[in-house]
Amino acid sequence: MKTTIVENGNQWIASFSGRLDTAAAVQTAEDVKPLMELSNKEIILDCSELEYISSSGLRIFLSIRKEAATHGSKVIVRSINADIRQVFMMTGFISLFEIQ
Amino acid sequence: MMDLHTEMILEEYREARPVFEKMQTEVLQLLRDTLNKNGIIVTAIEARIKTEESLAGKLALKGAKYATLSDITDILGARIITFYTDDVDRIAAMAEQLFEIDWANSVDKRRLHQLDSFGYNSLHYICRLPGYDFRFELQLRTTLQHAWASINHDTGYKSGVEIPREYMRRINRLAGLLEIADDEFSHIRTEINDYRRRVQQLVQNGKLDDVLLDGDTFRSYLDAKPFAILNKRIAAINQAEIQEVPLIRYLGVLKELGCTTLGDVNRLRTRYEEDAYTLARHQLGNTDLDIISSAVGLQNICIVAILRQGGGKMGLLRMFNALNGHNTDNEALAELTYNQASALSFITQP
Repeated sequence: MKTTIVENGNQWIASFSGRLDTAAAVQTAEDVKPLMELSNKEIILDCSELEYISSSGLRIFLSIRKEAATHGSKVIVRSINADIRQVFMMTGFISLFEIQ
Repeated sequence: MMDLHTEMILEEYREARPVFEKMQTEVLQLLRDTLNKNGIIVTAIEARIKTEESLAGKLALKGAKYATLSDITDILGARIITFYTDDVDRIAAMAEQLFEIDWANSVDKRRLHQLDSFGYNSLHYICRLPGYDFRFELQLRTTLQHAWASINHDTGYKSGVEIPREYMRRINRLAGLLEIADDEFSHIRTEINDYRRRVQQLVQNGKLDDVLLDGDTFRSYLDAKPFAILNKRIAAINQAEIQEVPLIRYLGVLKELGCTTLGDVNRLRTRYEEDAYTLARHQLGNTDLDIISSAVGLQNICIVAILRQGGGKMGLLRMFNALNGHNTDNEALAELTYNQASALSFITQP
């Protein structure tokens, strides 16, 4: 599991690659910490290379969204695959995130 | 050429400026905290310290009136601009608790008008913050009163030329018009609050068929957490935790499902909650997902209702468009949901 964060003006893009499972969640939570304090930014969670997301991964996405809302930032989840879409839908989080 | 008296007061002003700056910070903080605590939302809270230039101008005009700097009550001026006229009175009552009011110098300009005259409307309190010797001025006015005062200031004082009587009359009659508008806004707020209380009463008494479905009434319905039991049952499938999320977005979906009253929503819930649970068990039973949102129960009720009413994939697409806004991902989502639900024959075969 690899997380890369790139700043592009007002946009911060976090790209996830691999399987965001329970084992990978601890490191990923550490990797996304820079996103937690951004104020008034657009945070893109690019999932085009993300193969799988577990409950622990969902919790990380929810934390990012919660902190972003507190700091006036906006989160967009981009390019999720069918399996991840299914996870978001089954858990009822699909309408909480802006998904592109 | 400045006289000695003016020079002395200006020197006093320069020395006292840090005190006014400290007082400004404390007054603003106190006002903000008090409004927050009382849940009053206002257009603006602002404060300024009179500039030396402006003070010199004031002293040149009426310097003899002031023996020392302490006699000038508007070196620090704070202003609260409210949405509603009733809030001016509520905030005034709070200011009376926070500050020592110099009643002899405070003016309610709203009460100064004759029965047949209109014009500047604001409440001016001369206040003292405990622990300080200097007084300051607190102005309270509505947004419309502020707009009138600002425009009147711009057309009148700023040009330095007295404007003709005809224009004064036109400006003043606008003050009358805005007074009517301010009163009307206050009445509308009061009536909306009454309406909300009536709706809450009807919801509490279970008279849901008497309550039309709209944003306000749906919120009242949701306050009673009608989907909590279903959500808990769904959570129990995987011993999941439930994250609270807003459900108001489902209003459009429920209307599209033909609900016009809260009674319709409630019937939809009781009719389909068992199927919604079965769908959730089918979806989540083979996973180890141990976190769900509080929207999952209502989401599944809507999915089941759409499919049992023969809405098919298109119906699901309309639902996701209503929830997420139109985007290409919704088609894949509708397809996926339809395929999952199709495995449960009772859902897709009405």
